[in-house]
Order: sequence, then C-alpha cells, then structure tokens
Amino acid sequence: MLKDQTMSVVLDGSPLKAMQSSHTHTAQTALSGQELSQEIKSFISGIDTVQGRKLSVREHARCAVRLLRSVPACRGAVLEHLRGVYDEHVSAFLHNLETESDASSGVSSNLEDIIQEVHGVLSEFICLNPRAWAPLVSTWAVDLLGQLSSKHAGRRVAPHSSSLNELLQLWMSCAATRSLMEAYSQSLAAMLSWCPDACVDALLDTSVQHSPHFDWVVAHIGSAFPGTIISRVLACGLKDFCSHGAKEQGLMVMVGDKGSRVPKIGSVVGILGHLAVHHSDSIRKELLRMFQESLSPSSPLSPTSSSTSWEGSPQLRRAAVPFLLQLAAMSPNLFGAVSAELVELLRPPVLLQLQALLQGLPREELDNMLGLAVHLISQSPSGGSRVLRFLADTATPASVIISGPTPSPHEGVREGCDRLLQMLLLHLHKLVFNRSDGAEVNPHHPALSQPKRLIPFLEELQSHVGELCAQTLRLERKRHLWLHQLLCLLSVYGGPSVATEALCQLLTQAHNPEELALAWQLHTTLSSCMAGLIPAAVSRCVAQIHTHTLGPRQLRQLLLNLAAAIESQDGERRGGAAAGVQASMAIQMGSAVSGHLHDFGPLLLHGDSAVSHATVRLLSCSPLPRASSPAHLLLLSRAAVTHFFMGLRRRVESGKVGRDGGQACEAVNCSVVLLSRLAAYSPLTLKAVLQLLVEGALHKGNTGLFGGQMADMSGAPLPSASVSRDIGASLLDINCRFGTVVNFSGSVWSVFHAGVIGKGLKVRTETQLPDPSGVMQNVQTLLTVVVQCCSSSGFDGSINSSRPPSDPGEPLAINAEAAKVIAVTLVENVCPDVANGELSWPPEEHARTTVERDIHIRRCFEAHPVLFPLLQVVAAGRPALCYCSAVLRGLLATLLAHWEASRETLSTDDPWHLQASCLLVSCMGEGQLLPPVLANVHEAFPHLTPFEVRLLLLAVWEYVRGNGPMPQKFAFSSERGLFCRDFSRDGDVARYVAPIQSVLHKNIDRLGHLCWRFQL
Amino acid sequence: MGDIRQSLLPRDVLSAAKELLYHLDIYICNVVQSGRQPPQVDSKTQELVEEFILHAPKDRNTPARRMSALQELQLLEIMCSCFQEQSRDTVRQLMFSALFNLQGNQADESRMSLLGKLVSMAIAVGRVPILECAATWLQRTHRGYCVRLAQVLVDDYCSMVPGSGPTLQNIHNASPRFCCQFITAVTTLYDLTTEELTPPLELLQMIVSWIQEDPGLVLINFLNTALSGNQPISSLDVTPLGGLMRWCVKASLIYSRDKKKGLTNGSAECELEVGPLFSALHLSVLQVLMLLPNILNEKGLFGRLALLQVESLAALTSDLSRLLDQADKHTHTSSTDSSDLSELALDRLAQALQVAMANGALLCSREDLRAICSRLPHNNLLQLVLSGPVLYYNNIHTPPLAFSPHASHSPIASHPTHTPHPPLASSHPQYPAQPFMTGMQFPFRPSH
Repeated sequence: MLKDQTMSVVLDGSPLKAMQSSHTHTAQTALSGQELSQEIKSFISGIDTVQGRKLSVREHARCAVRLLRSVPACRGAVLEHLRGVYDEHVSAFLHNLETESDASSGVSSNLEDIIQEVHGVLSEFICLNPRAWAPLVSTWAVDLLGQLSSKHAGRRVAPHSSSLNELLQLWMSCAATRSLMEAYSQSLAAMLSWCPDACVDALLDTSVQHSPHFDWVVAHIGSAFPGTIISRVLACGLKDFCSHGAKEQGLMVMVGDKGSRVPKIGSVVGILGHLAVHHSDSIRKELLRMFQESLSPSSPLSPTSSSTSWEGSPQLRRAAVPFLLQLAAMSPNLFGAVSAELVELLRPPVLLQLQALLQGLPREELDNMLGLAVHLISQSPSGGSRVLRFLADTATPASVIISGPTPSPHEGVREGCDRLLQMLLLHLHKLVFNRSDGAEVNPHHPALSQPKRLIPFLEELQSHVGELCAQTLRLERKRHLWLHQLLCLLSVYGGPSVATEALCQLLTQAHNPEELALAWQLHTTLSSCMAGLIPAAVSRCVAQIHTHTLGPRQLRQLLLNLAAAIESQDGERRGGAAAGVQASMAIQMGSAVSGHLHDFGPLLLHGDSAVSHATVRLLSCSPLPRASSPAHLLLLSRAAVTHFFMGLRRRVESGKVGRDGGQACEAVNCSVVLLSRLAAYSPLTLKAVLQLLVEGALHKGNTGLFGGQMADMSGAPLPSASVSRDIGASLLDINCRFGTVVNFSGSVWSVFHAGVIGKGLKVRTETQLPDPSGVMQNVQTLLTVVVQCCSSSGFDGSINSSRPPSDPGEPLAINAEAAKVIAVTLVENVCPDVANGELSWPPEEHARTTVERDIHIRRCFEAHPVLFPLLQVVAAGRPALCYCSAVLRGLLATLLAHWEASRETLSTDDPWHLQASCLLVSCMGEGQLLPPVLANVHEAFPHLTPFEVRLLLLAVWEYVRGNGPMPQKFAFSSERGLFCRDFSRDGDVARYVAPIQSVLHKNIDRLGHLCWRFQL
Repeated sequence: MGDIRQSLLPRDVLSAAKELLYHLDIYICNVVQSGRQPPQVDSKTQELVEEFILHAPKDRNTPARRMSALQELQLLEIMCSCFQEQSRDTVRQLMFSALFNLQGNQADESRMSLLGKLVSMAIAVGRVPILECAATWLQRTHRGYCVRLAQVLVDDYCSMVPGSGPTLQNIHNASPRFCCQFITAVTTLYDLTTEELTPPLELLQMIVSWIQEDPGLVLINFLNTALSGNQPISSLDVTPLGGLMRWCVKASLIYSRDKKKGLTNGSAECELEVGPLFSALHLSVLQVLMLLPNILNEKGLFGRLALLQVESLAALTSDLSRLLDQADKHTHTSSTDSSDLSELALDRLAQALQVAMANGALLCSREDLRAICSRLPHNNLLQLVLSGPVLYYNNIHTPPLAFSPHASHSPIASHPTHTPHPPLASSHPQYPAQPFMTGMQFPFRPSH
C-alpha cells in the first residue's frame, strides 16, 4: 500500500501536488529570512536567541524539524542532531527497562512524541519526493540503527545477539528504533522501483560493520520484503563477487578460511541464513531463478528481467554460477536448500547452456569451479544419491542401444560430468584415506588430517548402499567402475558395517558370474584393511533370511550366489591355477557358510521350489563344519531327507521335459550329493540320514513314489465316512462293532475281518497305478542315495578314502554298520510287534502264533515294493540282514501259507507272491543267510507249481532254523573288505537239499538247465 | 599569513576555520588597502583555506580532518554573517573568490559542496551580498561548475524540501543579477535532451513568472557587465536567451514524448500546464529580443555583438530535426497530433530566428541560415523566414566583436551536456531538404 502510494507520487512527478498536500505547513515556511537566521542560530547554539534561555531537548528537536522543513542547507546537520535525539531516547528507554520503573511517562514519553513528529516529517518527505529522500533517509536510518544497536548491545536488558527474536522484540518496542525501522522500510519500498541495489548495499555494508548486533534489522527487513530483499541481496553479492574476482575467494574457501576479506558475500550468506528460517522456499526459488536466468540466452528485450539489472550484463551472468557455487560452499543451509532441486533442473538443454556459458571461462577458473563443485558434493548432506545418479547418467555415454527417453547429452557435457565424477572420486578417495592417517599421507595439508572427519556425502550414501550395489551390478560401461570405486570408498569410510552391507547386497543382487565377480573385486580391495569381512557378510545374509526381508527370487539368487562363490574354489583348484585370492576367498566363504548350515537347513523346506533348490545347491557344495551340535545336524539331516523326497515328488510332477524337469532332476542330484556328504560326515548323521531315508521311503505319503499303495494295515474295516466324521467316540458304537471291543492283535486270538457275510470280500481301497518308469527312476535314486550313504561310511573313513570311487564299474561296498541301521529301521517300521523278535527262527509250525504280525509284514511288502530293493541293500551289507530276521521270517511264513493254500496250477499265476518269494530268497542268499545252493532255488520258482514252491521255501525255512542268522557267524575278510560267512562251519547242507533234488527230479524236463545250480 | 598555520593546527576543526576566516578578512582588507593590482590572495593563503576550511588532505600521510554536519552548519552560519557584515564590496568579492574560486585541484569538490550549501543557505535566510558574490562567481566560472551549483539549488528548493519554492522565488527581488545568472545556468543545465534534464515544473513556473514580471531581468547581466575581451573561457552565456529559445522550441516535442512514455494520467495534466507556460515564455523571449536594438545601439554594439551564437543555433536545429524524426517514427498512428506539435516547434523556431535576426541578436547570413536549417522538414513560416529579404545591419561589413566565449573556442562549446554535432552539410535522408525558392517575395518587413 505504502509502495503504491509512493509510486503514484513518483509518476506524478509534480511538486505542485506536494506543495498542495503540504499546505498545512505554510505557516512554518513563511518564516522570513531574518527569522530563519535566528532559528539557525538557536539550533546551533542550543539557546533560544530571542529569550536567551537554553532549549530543552524537545524544543531543540522541534527547532531542528522546522529547519529541516525550511532550510535545505541544514539537512545534514539536522539529521545529525536527530541522531543524538534518537540515541537519547533509546538510552532512556533502556534505562527505564533496567530500573523497571513503571513511571515510564517521564523523559522517554516526551521524546516519544518528538520522534513521532520527526518520523512524520520524514515519511511525508519520502512520500512527496521518494527519489530525493528515500536514499538519504534509508542510509541515515540504517546507519543510525546500526550504531544504536551496536552501542546498546552491552546493556543489561539487551538480550544476547544470538537470540534474534528477543532482540527484535526489544527493539521494536522502542519508539526510536521502531520509527527508524519504519522509515527505512518506507524508503526501501519507495526505492525498490528504481534503485534497490543502493539501498540493499547500504544494508549490507552496515550489516558487515555491526555484524551480530545488526542482524535483527536485516531479519526484520528481510521478512518484510522477502522476495525483493532476497533477490537484491543476491544481486548485490553477485556484483561484489564479480568485482572482487572469484578466484581468490574460491581458493580461500577451499582452504576453509572464511576470513573477513570477502565482506559482502559473508553478509549475504548471513542474511540469507537468517531468512532461511521462514523463507527458505523463496530463497530456494530465488537461487534457482538466478541460476536459470544466468543460463538463459541474453535477451535484452525480455520484459521479465524486471527490476534487477544483473541479467543484462554478460559478465555478471557468467559470474553467477561461480557465485552460486561460492555461496553454497559458504552456507550449508543454502546449499541444502538448492541442491535437491538443482539436480532436477539440469535437463539436457540446461546443461547445454551451462556448457556454453562455462566454455568462455579461463582454464584455472574452471578448475577452481570444478574443485568447488566437488567439494560441495562431498559435503552435501542430502540428495547425494540423486546427484550421483545424475552425474553417472550424464557421464555415461548413451549408446544407440541404451538411449533412454531422454536424448543423449552433448559430448562436451558428458565429458564434463565424466571429469567431475572422476574428480569427485579422487577427492573422496583423499578424504577417506586421509581421514584416518592423513598426517603421514598428506603432510602438506595438515588441515585435512583431522582424526575423524565426517563426509556428509558418504554419510548419506551409506543408507543407499543397496541402490548403489544394484546400479553397479548393471555393469554399464564406465558406470560400474565408478560406482564400484565409490562402494569401496564408502566401505572404507563406513567401516566394517557398511562394507559388510555392501558385500551382502552384492551377493544378494548379483545375477551372474560377471556380476558376482564385482563382489570379489570389492572384497579384494577391502580385505587389506578389513578382516573377517566374508563371515560378517554371510552372517548379514543369514540375518536377512531370518527377517524375511528377501522375496523368494532374491533369496534364491543369494543362495545360488553363495553356492557359486564356494564352487569357484573347486573350479580354481581343478584349473590347477595357483591358489589365488579368489580361491582363498572361496575357502573363507565356504567356512563362513558352513558355520551357518543350520540356518540354511530350514530353507530346504521352503515353499518355493526354486529357493529350496538353491539351498540344496548351496548345501551340497558347502563344506560341513568341523564341529557342530548334534541337534543342528539332526535337524539338517531331517530337512535334507525331507527335501529329497520333495525333490522326487517334484520330479515326478514336473515330468522330464522342460526347464522345470531339468531343474527338478538337478535338485534331486544335489540332494543326493548333500545326503551322501551328510552321511559321510559322522556316524550320527549317517544313522540319522539312513533312518530318515528308510522311514521316508515307507511313509504313507511317499509310497506312491516308489510304486506302493496306501494299504490298510490294520485289517480293521474301513471306517465309514459318517463315522470318521464323528470325532466324539461313542463307547456304544465301538462296542457294537465286531472285533474291536477287545484288541487281540499279537495274540493267538486274532480275528480277521474279511468282510460281511453275504457281501463278499471287503473292498480294497482303489489306487491308481503310478507311472512305472517314474517309479523305477525314483527307486533307483533312492537306492543310489542309500548306497552312497552306506558306502561313504562315516564309521570308517579309512575304507572309503583308501578306495576312492576310481572305478565306477565296481559296485560300491556297503558298509556293514550302515546296512545294520537300515535293517533295524526296516524292522522297526515293517514289524510293529517286538514280541518274537529274536533273530533265531522257530520251527515252521510256530509261525502260527504270529500270523497276524506276519500278515502285517506281508501287507507291508505288498504296499511298499521298495522294501525289496532296500532289503537287497541290507543284504549287500553283510551281516546286517541278520537283523531283519523277524521281517524275513514273517514274510516267508505268509508266503508258505499262501503257497500251501494256493490252488493254482502254476506259481506264475500268483505273480506278486512268486516275485516276493524269488526276491526274498535271493536277498537271503546275498546276505549269506543261505548257502548258495539254497539261495539259487528262486531261479526255479517260476517253473514250479505252488506246492513245489512251498516245499522249497520250507527247505529254506528249515535251513535258517537250523543255522540261525547270527551276525557273529560272519567274519571280516580283509582282502575283500567285506564280512563273509563260512558255511562250512555250519551243519551239513545236504540235509536241506533233498527236497530240491526231489523237485528237480519231478520237473527235470523243465528244470534241466538249472541242475548245475544246485550242485553242492 | 602562512605563519598562522602552526597556531591553527592544534585547534579543533571549527574554531580553526573560524580563526582562519577572521585572519582572512583582515588579510584581504590589507590587500585592498595596499592597492596592489590586481587584488588577489597569494597561494599560501589559498593553501590555508584549502586545509582548514575545505579540509582537503594536505598530503597522503595526514588524514583529512572532517567536519560534522553540525560544525559545517556553524561554519556556514559564520560565513553568512561574515559576508553580511563586511561592508566593502571589493573585500567581500575578494574573500568570496579566495574561498570559492576553483583552483583546479582536489579541493574543488569540497569547495563546490560548501559553496552549494552556502548559497542555498543564503537564499533561505536572504543574504543578498552572498548572492551578489555568487552571481559574479557564476559569471567567471566554467559553465560545468555553474551548472552544478544550479543543480544543487534546484534540488534543494524544488525537490528536497516541499514548500520551499517561494523562498527561491524571492531571489528575484533579493538579487536580480544572481537570478539572471541562475536562469542562464538552469537553461544550460536542462537542455531537454533527456528526461532528467527536463526542468521541474515548479522551476519552470518560477522562471516564467520572473521573466513575465520583468523581461529586463534576462538582460540584466548583459547590461551590468562591462564587455571586455577577457571573458573566461567556457563560462556561461551572457544572457539566458539562447537557452530559453531552446526550451521554447523543443518543449512541445519533449513533453509530448514524455507523455507517451509516462502512461499515467499525471502527465496529461502536466502537459496542460506546461503548454501555456512555454507559450508565455516564448512570448517573453520574443519581447526581450525586441528590447535589444535599443540597448545594443546605446552600447554601439548593434550588428557587432551576437547574443545568440550560430553554433548553438546549429546544435538546436540538429537536435530539433532528430526529435522530429523520432516523433515521426514513434507516432505514425496519431499523426495529426504529432504534426501539430512539430509545426508548433518549427513555427517557434522560425519566429525566434526572424525576431533575433531582425533585432541583431543573431548575426548570420541567410545562406548560413539555410544551411543550418536544411535538415528541417518543410514549414511555411520557416520557409518564409529563410527566403526573407536581406537584413540590413547598420554596419554589416564590420566584423563582430570577439566577445563570444565560443568565438575563440569554436566550433562548439565544450559543455559536457552538448554532444558534437554532425556536419551540417549532410542533408537528412528522410526529409526533403528545405527547398529554397529564390523568386519568392517576402511580405514582412521589420519595423525598423
């Protein structure tokens, strides 16, 4: 409003109006020359010349005002006199405050009205003729303000200069200073339209002169005219900067000495710093505007170059960018305000302009600016990652292929950024490595060698390690080199935690060997100054796994990467190259991972197959820890076995074709490797693994894999759907049900439930036949695992190590103890009843007492075809088959019963029983429970009638009964590496061969070719 | 007198100045009484003045002593009374020149500033002797400094202190000589080339009222001065006639231009007020010119002394043609208005030329005049004037007196506000050269 008023007066430019508006004072102006002369005399002497008495302060001031109105030549003197009046008032004011006398209506109020009067006159003059009076009054007011605030700064009531608000409050409550402030504001408002620079110049000068005490004035003015003051202050600073020359200033700041040699820019920074509290937005806008306008091509006709004048001068425009840099270097606040948006502004066209602008500068100035920019970036507390991305983006040559949505920047711009980035890295490098032991490294700059110095840029980037790693891994030309270097610096700067984080991120995010190699490079660089990086990184990875921060894909990648890392060791070794850094790293990695096996174990059972696959890969290649708690091992074993079966199932489901199939196969293979390694690790694990494997193979859920069926083992009637749903068991129901009231199982009182009379045999559950080839494969795999586990004995490492699998054709030797584990597990699972579990066989008649158990055993075999191969494995591990005695007996007993009752003409009519009989006998032969003669009888079975088969089996029974399957009958033969039974020590075999001979005779026409098999 | 320096040195600034003034007074009285010719102060005294009154730094080692504004005011007051009380004109005059005559050294700045304040104060409190001295000073000093003094006064009374205009108005009564010199200085200062160099309205009104009231005021300096050849180089003109004529001719164009620049309503009002003022001023100028023949004849200078210089006339016409050119460019839309104004300017020029030539204020032949005016666009009246009858001087063949300050100093005065003009021969491309019709009869005859 004030401004409008003054503006209109300016434009009117008519002193006539002024005269009219000031007609109220005509009385005073009409003084004659004589009177005026008297008046001047009074003013000079301070004595009323007419009455000859001394003038009071008030009257003296009145006299001064009259002279101001009428004698132009007295202007300077009057203003000077008024300084004293104002000063007196301030003194009185402060004195009143200090003595806290409420009677403030003393001297100060008297002066207050004269100050009001003076203020009125001055403001009237400014209104009437702003061009003449505003510069005068503004300088006077600012100078006086500075003087007053300095002079009274030490007073008791005056708050400390740092508490700006209190200071402001105090001074604005004082009439004199308030009036001065208002007068200055008015002048400023008037001058803004035509010569704002002079006004702000005065402000700046005074601010420098009375530095801390004058700040409240600047703050007040600044907040009254934020927009204009800010731009003015900037423009003034720029001009001053331009005239002082940027060079020495730049050097000075680089050295870190913000001395008093650059007064203007110092106070510019100070003032903007004050204003930043409330007007940071406009400051930012102003700074950015300055930047932009300094770039935009000079257009003298542009009407937007409103009030400021610096846009017009090419020299100033050129200095603007260095000036802004300088400003930013001196004030972190300002820098922080601008830096974020500045990067956004730097679009390609702007960059081009910038380049064009900077091209004109001399070399050393450019270098200076570069140094300054680097310094600034390294000191920027926020937005560092954005700056970095921008620099890297711009500096990376955009090829035709990569060119993104933005057009590729100019070559010069690109080079500039390239250079800037390299300088930045160099600078950071210096900072980082001088930080700890700078004294030795750089004796020339002792200032830099402070023991622990923060580097804000790196501080901030520490939280962006993940992003950095991700970008590094993109492997884009130069960019990844830079970023990699930066990562190294960051790691060194941040210490082990950051280094660990970086390595961990790289490990997590790498997708292929090349990318993974970056991790190794990083480690190589860092390993010299940091120990234990890899274990820490692995621990970090594990922690990530535990906190579930990784998605399945990332998790999988991490596991694969770890695996690859460990495997690289093998590759190195195989390659025969000197055990390089990588190998040692791989070893470290291996040991680190092995320490966390139990953490990885659960991942085997991860819902995502890819993850579990990756896990198994990792585990299969990772070395096992030297010492590990049994609990962990058992857990791991359980998980591994479970995973094995899952793998099998997945393989079946996925089929053989396609990627999934291949992956599933690989997973199974890895699983096999893992299991065999686990088994070889210790007796405990061997036992656990085998046990779990067997149990797993026989588990209901897995039967399908091995061609088995869900068999109804209990023999009890299938519960109807309605009953099964009824959870609350009713005793009445149970009692009503036949055969369940008393449990006869295991006793002679067995009751068999074959069905309800009149309804035929009980219906067996329907099962679909599994794919025979798949079944075959699964069985093979299982056997492979089992055999490998058994042969890589954890009991006796010497055997295995002395006989490495050098000859793949030779069957692996089955470890006896391992076989025993299988045997025992089999028995536990197949034969639920421990009664009659002794090894030696009773007479065949006694089998009747165990009919129920025997039937259970037979059903087990029916349901789990895989039992036979397992038995074979056991048989191979002599004398372990002995421990299966009960199972064998039970099976044989049911077979005998079957063949006895069979009314078929040929044994081949009962295929399952025939096969079972053959396998049983051959197994017993393999396990050396039978001598070869008896063991060969199964060859004849297919050609015989059921009864004859029974005869032969009976002979087998008799033999075993006569010659009990006792492990102690076996002796270790060292040349074969096996346990063997010497049948000659047993009783005469011929006794048991008689039925065979008879059968041979009877069927000589068909069995002639087998005769030789039964020679004693 | 140089021996008092040692006694002055330990004094404070004000009392030293006072004491020096006192001694100076005595010293000058002595000089005048001794009858030395020419009466002037020696360089020692001059140095003392510079050191203790003007506070010019004596050498680099001693920092210049400064007076506060209050002390300065006291000093001015003392000076005022000092001049007032000195009854002898010669002493006063000598004292004034000892204090304020420019020496061409670095003290001149403070000299000028002190002089400005002193004169301003003298106007305020009506100290006639000081004004008289100042009038003499204005006559003898280079016009650049005269203009500065005028500037200070105009600033003080027409812009800084509202309502102080009447005080300035009074100088007409107090010291007509000073008033006349002031007008000359002001017209030299405000040559209407830029907006800043346009006189404030208040000042304009004042001047017009002065001249209207007393046309002889313009010539008062001319009348009172013994014309001699030793007029200082580049001093102000003897009369403000040339400057006033320039104002009248250019005014219509200048104010219309300014009106276009200033878009607010204020200037229209201004225009309304200014137009009649300049008409009145033009009339006054013509009337003053008409007064000339008697005076010149009395002095026996008719036809020998040119009060208007041909050079300044040439500058005026070239300015005018430039202005007309600009006006034409800028205002092709409202052409009637601008052509009216152009016609007015050319008419006034023609009238002034005719009257000046007829009354012996301008001494040049029609051919010269035609050459000078060749670049101006066609104007009926001007055409008539240019083709007019042969002027009769009393003694046309006698060469003019070498009175003009410019004569020894041709071609154009070295006044800072004047720019060198292009050679007159080159005719303006846009306007057809003023055709000269030989056979045309000129009906107007001067009355004498």
